[in-house]
Amino acid sequence: MADELNGRDGPGAGRAALRITFAPGSQAEADEAPIRAGIAAGGRVSIDGEPSEAALTDRTSSTARLETSDGSHRVLLHELPDPRRAALGVRRVEVVIDGWRIELDVESEARARLRERATSVRAEAGRGGPSELRAIIPGRVVSVDVAEGDAVEPGGRLLVLEAMKMQNELKAPRAGTVVRVAVGPGETVELGDVLVVIE
Amino acid sequence: MATVKRPPADTPTVASLSLRKDGGDGALPFRRVLIANRGEIAVRILRACRDLGLETVAIYSDADAHAAHVGLADQAVRIGPAAPTKSYLDIGAVLDAAARTGAEAIHPGYGFLAERSEFARAVNDAGLVFVGPSPAAIEALGDKLHARRLARDAGVPIVPGTLEPAAIDRPDDLPPLLAEAASIGFPILVKATAGGGGRGMRRVVRATDLPAVLVEGSREAASAFGDGRVYLEREILPARHIEVQLLGDSSGRVIALGERDCSIQRRHQKLVEEAPAPGLSDGERRELHRLAVAMGTAAGLTNAATAEFLRAPDGRYHFLEVNTRLQVEHGVTELVTGVDIVREQLLLAGGRPLSEAALAAAERATPAGHAIEVRLSAEDPGRDFTPTPGLIRLWAMPSGPGIRVDTAARAGERVPPEYDNLLAKVMVHAPDRAAAIELLGAALAEVEVAGIQTTLPFHRFVAGHAGFRAGELSTSWVAEHWDGPSAAAGPRRLAQVVAALLAASEGATDSGAPEPPRRGTSEATGWPPGPGEGTSWAEAALEAMVDRWPTS
Repeated sequence: MADELNGRDGPGAGRAALRITFAPGSQAEADEAPIRAGIAAGGRVSIDGEPSEAALTDRTSSTARLETSDGSHRVLLHELPDPRRAALGVRRVEVVIDGWRIELDVESEARARLRERATSVRAEAGRGGPSELRAIIPGRVVSVDVAEGDAVEPGGRLLVLEAMKMQNELKAPRAGTVVRVAVGPGETVELGDVLVVIE
Repeated sequence: MATVKRPPADTPTVASLSLRKDGGDGALPFRRVLIANRGEIAVRILRACRDLGLETVAIYSDADAHAAHVGLADQAVRIGPAAPTKSYLDIGAVLDAAARTGAEAIHPGYGFLAERSEFARAVNDAGLVFVGPSPAAIEALGDKLHARRLARDAGVPIVPGTLEPAAIDRPDDLPPLLAEAASIGFPILVKATAGGGGRGMRRVVRATDLPAVLVEGSREAASAFGDGRVYLEREILPARHIEVQLLGDSSGRVIALGERDCSIQRRHQKLVEEAPAPGLSDGERRELHRLAVAMGTAAGLTNAATAEFLRAPDGRYHFLEVNTRLQVEHGVTELVTGVDIVREQLLLAGGRPLSEAALAAAERATPAGHAIEVRLSAEDPGRDFTPTPGLIRLWAMPSGPGIRVDTAARAGERVPPEYDNLLAKVMVHAPDRAAAIELLGAALAEVEVAGIQTTLPFHRFVAGHAGFRAGELSTSWVAEHWDGPSAAAGPRRLAQVVAALLAASEGATDSGAPEPPRRGTSEATGWPPGPGEGTSWAEAALEAMVDRWPTS
């Protein structure tokens, strides 16, 4: 138990080791790995085991400057509070840097590992488990291409969502069977609403 | 339609004073203008009305109850729920708002009802002034095939293609159609007759795909525009998109107020516009203006419109379409000519002749100075410009000499998903193009937006791009030069480092116990204190985890 909590992550990853992940739905690419950050004295960090020279300066309530060996970047910072995430020990922050807005989840590395173990146990039990497809932008459902019981292939069109006068096709992330269609044509959906469940 | 209530003719207003400066004869036939639009363009029109001393009426949907244009108008009328078809596109609701407020003129802005001839006609039928071209001209030019025939008859070269709707209902008609397509040359664009502005078109590379695309395109056009007619045009690539600002008065006189290059586009939607078009000789420029004026004259154009052309690599122009409305990018023309186009529209709608300033600018053809505009939109340039509606948390726009920002966005406001995602037009004006690009880079460095992703990184990329500086412009520029995911990769890594440093600064250390509580931290950083009073939030996270997750 104590070992689990402390984590075993090599140099720089001690008791306060953190895992920093791109928040789901914020354009995270599949190949974008989380980083493990070790926290050293004096506000310095190590990134994936390597000590980093980067530092945050000029802090105000919502801005800062990131000084790296390559240069200086103005940064906008904001925490996105959410009681559910907070209860799980996950904090989500918005960082705007060089015009890019990025949402990140910050949690303890040890906790993340426990969650992963729990998830893998659950996944084994459920043999793949269902995939919930959620709306990544609020909008209106234009058409639904699948019905419950349909078999889908990866990349197959599930539905079309209209937002800001543009039609966005939602495609199946993997093969499976549609077990639930939670929306119908004409319905308005909010960010994060479940649209389709595939098993 | 109920009769329109005239406002009492009371004491002389600022309007009559400022109008005399324009050399006109007395007041305009309207004193109160309803702006049938929202967002930055509604604000832009409100300002022009205010400068002329005209009273303003704003309309708004439920999504816009607290929007900037509502607060700036003398009066505001709610016209319906957020859905555009039930508000800004509802002709009856707009006319009702005009009647209730005693508005005597309606400016449609761009988008929404601006190019609906039935709207312009309904406005006129209600006894009101429509600030725009006549319903007949809107209708003639809105039918893109009709516009192509008009151009041909006026001796204006058109993009090679068909002049009649494609016969798609009769399979026996296919062989001649395919033969015609072959003579036009592939790739071909299948375009909706009722489309335009980049909407309702499909690209066909191989002849064998054409019949299916025609059927699909027609079906799509019927559902989107209520008109299933489609026609064929050759795709001209590489091409520059160059358009000419037209103004016309009721005497039948049409002038060209210079041109704009709008080649940098994605999905046929413009991202960057500049005036004048770089690299044209004065002779080439005058020839282009002559073609545009010929087109406008043939269509009986009044008020303001824009004739769009493609410039092929051989320097030849091909007429594309005429937009019978104020264009989003009108501001760059205003900057280089000194003519306020919206003011001009209002005066022309009031029966005034073309202003001296406009005539002089048209005579010059090549303006002094150079202006560039970028469209800052709620879109993610790292994800193929996907819309990103949401809450604007922080909003800072540039200012200073040579910089103009047209916007209605404010911090704390939500960008609704129902409407166009344009947030701000950032414009710069400098003595020459190189200086304008420098100024654009400096202006964009001042832009700060949080809460939603915008196109800012793309625009900064353009401003710093050697090819753009060299004037190498093409409608395929974005596809050739912009790789969104790669551009985002570096900043995304840095953001992870920022998050780590942020957590580190909150007191989590590697040395065992967390640092002593620092009550000042939350105020200094904006981060609320962690769930456990006196413990760092990383520590609290651990406790929360122990409570919730099975460890075996």
